[in-house]
This record gives sequence, structure tokens and C-alpha cells, in this order.
Amino acid sequence: MELLEADILLQLLVGGLLAGALYALLACGLNLIFGVMRVINLAHAELMLVGAFGAYVLFNIFGLHPLLSLFIIVPAIFVVGYYFQRVLIERVVERPMLTSLLATYAVSIILINIGLLIFSADFKSVPVLQGSFLVGDLVVSKPRFTAGLISLALTVAVYQFLERTRLGKAVRAVSEHAQVAQICGIDVRKIRMLTFGMAAAMAGAAGVMLSIIYSFWPGSGIDFIQKCFAIIIIGGMGNFVGAFYGGLLLGVVEAFVGGFFSTQWAEAVAYLLLVTVLLIRPTGLKGVARA
Amino acid sequence: MKHRLSLLAVFSAVLALLVAPVVTHAKDIVVGTSVALTGKYARTGQEQLQGFQMWVDEVNARGGLLGQKVKLVHYDDESKPETGARLYEKLITDDKVDLLIGPYSSDVTMAASTVAEKHNFPMVSSGASASEIWERGYKNTFGLYTLAELYMDQILELGKEKGLKKIALVYENTSFPRGVAAGVKTKAKQLGMQIVFEEEYGKASTDFSSMIIKIKSKKPDMVIGGSYLPDSTGFMRQAKENRLYTKIFAFAVGPGLPDFGTNLGLDAEGVMGNTQWEPTLKLPGASEFAAKYKAKYGHEPGYHAGGGYGAGYVLEEAVKKAGSTDRDKVRAALFALDTVNAFGRFKVDATGKQIGKPAYAVQWLNGERHIVLPEEAATAKVAYPFKDWGKR
Repeated sequence: MELLEADILLQLLVGGLLAGALYALLACGLNLIFGVMRVINLAHAELMLVGAFGAYVLFNIFGLHPLLSLFIIVPAIFVVGYYFQRVLIERVVERPMLTSLLATYAVSIILINIGLLIFSADFKSVPVLQGSFLVGDLVVSKPRFTAGLISLALTVAVYQFLERTRLGKAVRAVSEHAQVAQICGIDVRKIRMLTFGMAAAMAGAAGVMLSIIYSFWPGSGIDFIQKCFAIIIIGGMGNFVGAFYGGLLLGVVEAFVGGFFSTQWAEAVAYLLLVTVLLIRPTGLKGVARA
Repeated sequence: MKHRLSLLAVFSAVLALLVAPVVTHAKDIVVGTSVALTGKYARTGQEQLQGFQMWVDEVNARGGLLGQKVKLVHYDDESKPETGARLYEKLITDDKVDLLIGPYSSDVTMAASTVAEKHNFPMVSSGASASEIWERGYKNTFGLYTLAELYMDQILELGKEKGLKKIALVYENTSFPRGVAAGVKTKAKQLGMQIVFEEEYGKASTDFSSMIIKIKSKKPDMVIGGSYLPDSTGFMRQAKENRLYTKIFAFAVGPGLPDFGTNLGLDAEGVMGNTQWEPTLKLPGASEFAAKYKAKYGHEPGYHAGGGYGAGYVLEEAVKKAGSTDRDKVRAALFALDTVNAFGRFKVDATGKQIGKPAYAVQWLNGERHIVLPEEAATAKVAYPFKDWGKR
């Protein structure tokens, strides 16, 4: 079978890893929020689209390259997320799960409709970095390579922050046990704001990356958020590293299923993977059983 | 508490807006339609609606239909067949419209036409072309578009003429794209060409790279897509990223729209497609419509806008011929009609299927969309072969 040729396999693998890096960036943020405040942010993909449309606007009005607009969009969305947590999310933390689901769902609907009002339902894209380069016989898409690499770098940077810095330790402490963290003198509210800001910024960055790969419209979020849910369950709820592996895994599996079976199946594979992981390891790849 | 009260006020205001009844004057003729204003078919649905809206404005400026003012009621079906079916049910039973215009896309039309048939309500169906719509024995769906099965015939003939043999065929898994694909398969067999690759993809598919990698390994001479706008642009973009090169690239819908050029820029160059209509066609009122449309909406109308506009004229002629909006009389008039308007000829067979309108092939040349086939309607010569990515 010609599909088993090494260069095609490699081609699929590289494509899958690059797509997976973007999933990972988005899903890690979602999982970070869940880990720290037990809130599932249903508006996460819309935050990503805010980033994508931000890149689109900056490109069309100021001609700013999306890679440069990252430096504006990421801090801006961080600030928005930081205060957004205080204004809205803080009120639903530690409430019944349904409350936070409803609140974030409302935010997602509001954002989608603001998007529709401003940008209409047309598909937009940012035409930069088109084409590809060759590494030997391997064709590497320029936008995907750039997006994959930056996504990877950002995710690793956030991970290092969580692992190495004092503030990162505080985030992890709140994630472990908020009350104990508070007793130890950590300002839990501040940490939650910081976490949400960071996760929002990650989503925004993912959006900028999205803008150079795909066409998007204000309702594009649904496909991504569904995949992200699958990823965080596959990787383990609340686990940053788990979401990272889950994202990469999904990207690669989608590419291979698309290659060996069909693109149609590639769309369903997230959920097949989800069911499989739940059957074999109900806590997810990196999850720990917790009451 | 005060806070909550004001929230409640806002909420009820929004609710009131949502459920506000359609206010019409007693004597208005109400035309109902639903098109995609969001979702995958949004761009095309919106064009169709705007084209139809122009007819509404014109007919009212001319003193209305049968001396009555025409009023349009429209909804957004979100590109979903199930929503479309629900909305046509609402248009017929709740809004009690007098006349019906079909939705955009064969997919939604399949669902909506079933509702119209149930109520025995004739529907002028712009924006649908899959022949399976007319294979169910219905008596109330009147097509405007050339059939999906015929979309790629001229392009395949061109391929044959140039000695091409191997075709890669990709298409969305819904009615219209499947119709296009069925047509391609039949025609290819007739011409003795070979389908070396065939694959369906989902309505929400945005990533075609795995598919493209497989296509490359089959080394086809031409790629044909049964597509809409977002997937055809996505495919071309990724074809370039993955260095897929064939002699002909042809897609349904996408290349027939101005957005194809604006989204892809230079990468659109040489891509072929199909069109139902172009402003350059020698049809009564076509260029006037195009000019007025451009003045109103800021861009040239594509064929979806032309179809919406044409549907208005077909409806107008049928109602005039019937002398009323009585469903049975309008249906009989639509079956009997053989007319040419700005969109082209309208003549249907006993199932309501369009048989009077020819197909046209387009190609993107120097940043513009040109009819290249058939020659009598062409505004430019076919550029062959497609220029390799590296040589652009």
C-alpha cells in the first residue's frame, strides 16, 4: 500500500503535530482555568476568536503582520481576562457547576453575536505566510509551521512559569487546595485573576495563529471547544501537561485517520479517542483520581 | 435588587423584540423565505437574499404586484436543514405568507421542500440544484438553477480535449456536492476518463491536508471539487501549502463568487469553476441589475444574487399569469411558464426541475472572474494548464 511509504507517514506526522500544538495551546488554557477555579470556560473558543479577529483587524487597518500583532493582542487579552475574572467569573467560582457553565455559555453567546454584528457571518482570513518550504522531500507549510512552533513555545513557556516561579507555584497551590493555599498566605483571588488572564491570553494567541492557517467566522468556536473538551478529558481534567499531550495526540491521530481513512472520520476521531481513553483510563492520561 | 430589576427589564425587552409579530398591512402580498445568514452558506445565502430584496424594491416602485405592495419576511436558517424545515413551517402556518421563495443550498431545500409539499404550497426555489430534490414526485418545488449534475461537464470535456485522463474527485457529504460528484462520475465514464481518487468530507471540514497528501500520491491530471465557498478556498490554500499541482483545478460554487478572489488573491489565478449567471451574459436587464446591485451593496453581484433577483421575476410573472396568489393557480402558472429574465431562461419539466437554463464555466484570470465556456458566452479564452505554484 503506497500510503505506508515513509515520506507520506512523515508528512502526516508533521502536519498532525503542528495542528496538535495549536489544540494544545488552547486546551492547556482551558484546563488551567478548570484546575484553579473548577470552572469550565465555555467561552474559551470565543476568546480565541477575539484574538483571530484582532489579528484580522490589525492586519487590514494597519497592515500589521499577525506575528507582530501577537505582541499587542496577547497582553491586551491578558488584561481583559484578568479583570473579566474579577467582574464575572469570581462570582461563580465555588458555586454549583451549572452556574459557571451558564455564565460562561452566556458570555460565549454574547461574544458570537457581537462578532456577527461587527464582522458579519462571512469567512475571514489573513493572507500572510502562504506556501511552503522543503526539508528534503518533506513539504512544510509556512503558516502551519510558524503557528505550530509559536504555540509550542508559548505552552512550554507557561509550563515553565508554573513549574519554576514562585507565582507559578502559588497557582499550582491554589489548584491543589484553595483553602490551604489561603491559609499559607496566598491571595487566592489574585491568583485566580492571574490564571484567567493567562489562559485568556493563551486562547488569544491561539486565535492569532488560527488566523494565519484557517478561514474563520464568529461562529467558528464550536468546532474547537468541542475538541478541547475531548482533549482535556483525554489528558486529565485540570492537568496542564495532560492537556498538552492530549492536544498533540489528537492532532496526530486526526492527521493519520484523515490519511488512512477519510477526512470525515478525522472529525469524529476526537470523540472515539475520548471514549477509548475513558474506558481504559477513566481519569485521563495524566489525571489522578480525586474525590 | 435594583440591579436585578433592570436586568429583568433588559431581558424582557430583548424577548419582546424576538417575538414581535411581523407587522403587515392588510392588503400586502407577503413573500416568505429563509436563507443562511450565518453558518457555512452565509455568504451565498446573504447574496441570494439581497438579490431578491432588489426585486421586492423594484416591484414596489413599479406599483406592486396585482396592485398590492409586496412585503418580504425572511429568517436565518443557520445553514441547517432542520432549522430551514422549522422556519418554512412557521412561514406557512404562523406568518401565513402568500408566496414562498426557497432557501439557499440543496441541502436545506431538500428539507424545506418537504414542508412546502406537505402544505401543497408552490415554492420558487432559487439556490438549489441537486437533482434528487426533483426525484421525489413533489409538485411544488420549482428550480431556477442548472442542475448540479451538469456543473462540471464542460470542464471535463476541456480536460478530455487536452488529453487528460486521471481525475481526483473530492466533495462535501451533502445533497448538492454529491450531485456534482455523481455528474462528474457519469461524464468521466462517457469520456473514458478515470477517477483515481474519490473522497467525501464533512460540512465542517476545514483541514484538507491529509486528503491532499493522499491525492498527491495518486498523481491526478485534474482536481474537481464538489464544494461551497469556504471549503474550495481552504482546499486551494492548502493545495499550495502542500505543493499539489495538477493541470486543472475546478470547484463548484467558490470560484463563482468574488470572495474567492479576495480571499485567495493570486492563488485564485487559473482556478476554474461553474457559474449559473454572470453580469456579462446577454440577458434582458442583467447589466442594469449588476450596476444597481453594485451601487447598493458595494460589490459586483455573483450568481447567487442573480438567482435571488431572477426568482423574484419568475414569481412576478407567475402571479400575473395566475391573476391571484391562489396556490393552485400559481402552481399551474409556474409549470406553464417559459420566460427569459435577467437571470436567464425559466422552464421546468413536469417535476418542477429546471430544463431551460444552460451551464457556464468560469476561470479566474488576472484577478477577475471570466466565463470561458461555452465559447458563445465567453468573455476570455481558457488559460491552460494551471500554472505550477513554483512558477508564479
